[in-house]
Amino acid sequence: MRSIAAALALLLLAITGVAVAGETVTITLPPDGVTLKPGAGMEQAAVSCRLCHSLDYITTQPAGGAAQWHGVVTKMLKIYGAPIAEPDAKAIAEYLASQYGTR
Amino acid sequence: MTRAMDTRVSRRSFLRGLTLVAGGLGFGGGLGLSVPWAEAESDPLLSGRPLVRYPEKTELIQLTARPPQLETPMSYFDRAITPNEAFFVRYHNFPIPTSVDLDTWRLEVKGHVDSPLSLSMDQLKKFPVASVTAVAQCSGNSRGRFTPRVFGGQWGDGAMGNAVWTGARLQDVLKAAGVRQGGLDVTFDGLDKPAFPSVPDYVKALDLQRIMNDPDVIIAYEMNGERLPMLNGFPARLVVPGWYATYWVKNLSEIAVLAERFEKFWVKPGYRIPDTPGGAIEPGTTPKATVPITRMTVRSFIATPTSGTRVKVTERVALKGIAFDGGKGIREVLLSDNAGETWARATLGHDHGRYSFREWSATWTPRRAGEARLMVRAVNGIGESQGHEPLWNPAGYLRNVIEQITLVVV
Repeated sequence: MRSIAAALALLLLAITGVAVAGETVTITLPPDGVTLKPGAGMEQAAVSCRLCHSLDYITTQPAGGAAQWHGVVTKMLKIYGAPIAEPDAKAIAEYLASQYGTR
Repeated sequence: MTRAMDTRVSRRSFLRGLTLVAGGLGFGGGLGLSVPWAEAESDPLLSGRPLVRYPEKTELIQLTARPPQLETPMSYFDRAITPNEAFFVRYHNFPIPTSVDLDTWRLEVKGHVDSPLSLSMDQLKKFPVASVTAVAQCSGNSRGRFTPRVFGGQWGDGAMGNAVWTGARLQDVLKAAGVRQGGLDVTFDGLDKPAFPSVPDYVKALDLQRIMNDPDVIIAYEMNGERLPMLNGFPARLVVPGWYATYWVKNLSEIAVLAERFEKFWVKPGYRIPDTPGGAIEPGTTPKATVPITRMTVRSFIATPTSGTRVKVTERVALKGIAFDGGKGIREVLLSDNAGETWARATLGHDHGRYSFREWSATWTPRRAGEARLMVRAVNGIGESQGHEPLWNPAGYLRNVIEQITLVVV
């Protein structure tokens, strides 16, 4: 009986992303398939930004000016403590301003 | 709960194995749908956003995937109680808790207290049971509607929901721990921990006196009569009726009483509004001084029909929606089809208490073909209402402009 219950929990987790076994509740998040527009700096942005959040944090923002995007990257480094090297940060800010900025 | 320890352990470790298998295969949850959906067609802000199905959730509008931010489609706001599966989701940091074992979960109560507590769920449930029906709304709900636009989560209007929350009164738990003289703030921390130690952990604080004067602040372990969904804070979350959901810490694990004021990131500089009447400043400017966001403003919505619906001239249209505020209760809901020149009263539904969504209904008969704009506004128990012109602040909080829908009369 117990193995049947456990097998059912497996099946439920696989199908619905939720399993309850005894006192434990477990969920599995669906995959995150968000991608960025191609352009110079895209690789650095995709890797660095995804350390903490999915890329829809970028793609859903309103078009911002270059200063705004540079400000966002600075905020991620200085306030949120993102482990991003200075040259990468510069490349990321320029990429964001060029691909997701006002023109 | 009566099973022998060994079978529980083996079952749990088996489950852990299963989780890894399922995770490895990339199963679980649903995939975003690429098909067009009704609300997105009439709302440029939401168009292009996928409808997704997360664990324990129905199809919700995905703002972001990691950490998950999911909003409730407007069609669910035609009733007072928001179903658990449709309730919005908002986390600040990633990773988020995805597995909680009640055998090991404890709610720690510590700091400036005589007897620190480490409460199991069974112990938490031994406190007198309290229930409150209350709206949880993200401070930045409708941020995407701001003009000029502001950076931050570009929510439509679905970062809100209303549920019957059941749990232990926070003041009872603090009394059991014996708060010492000189306690000032109480902090709340959940199981979510950021990816790097440099990233500020999500911790919020409430004034101790505010808690001791408000028996409706509860540690909820039930939502609409069921355990909380993981993404809404299983196994327990703070419920602060009338105040924005930033205080409603999820997956709660630690409460600490402090003998000083707490001013870390998510309290300062985070979640603050201009220190001006209505928290508003001239659009595009910077506030001189700020204060923490607290009580919710008055809001009301027409949920059905959805904007863009085609209706027939002279045929009666049934309108439904909700209204709410920060705890004074809704006195009336008004509708206008002439840009606010005249207003007609809607019929209020059952009163679930002053912190709840108030359901309303009305009928409207289109007199001529063409586009018709219907506006809704609510008035609360102390006469506060909604304005024609939106108020602006740089963080995109406190939205409470008069809402409207457009119907196509044919």
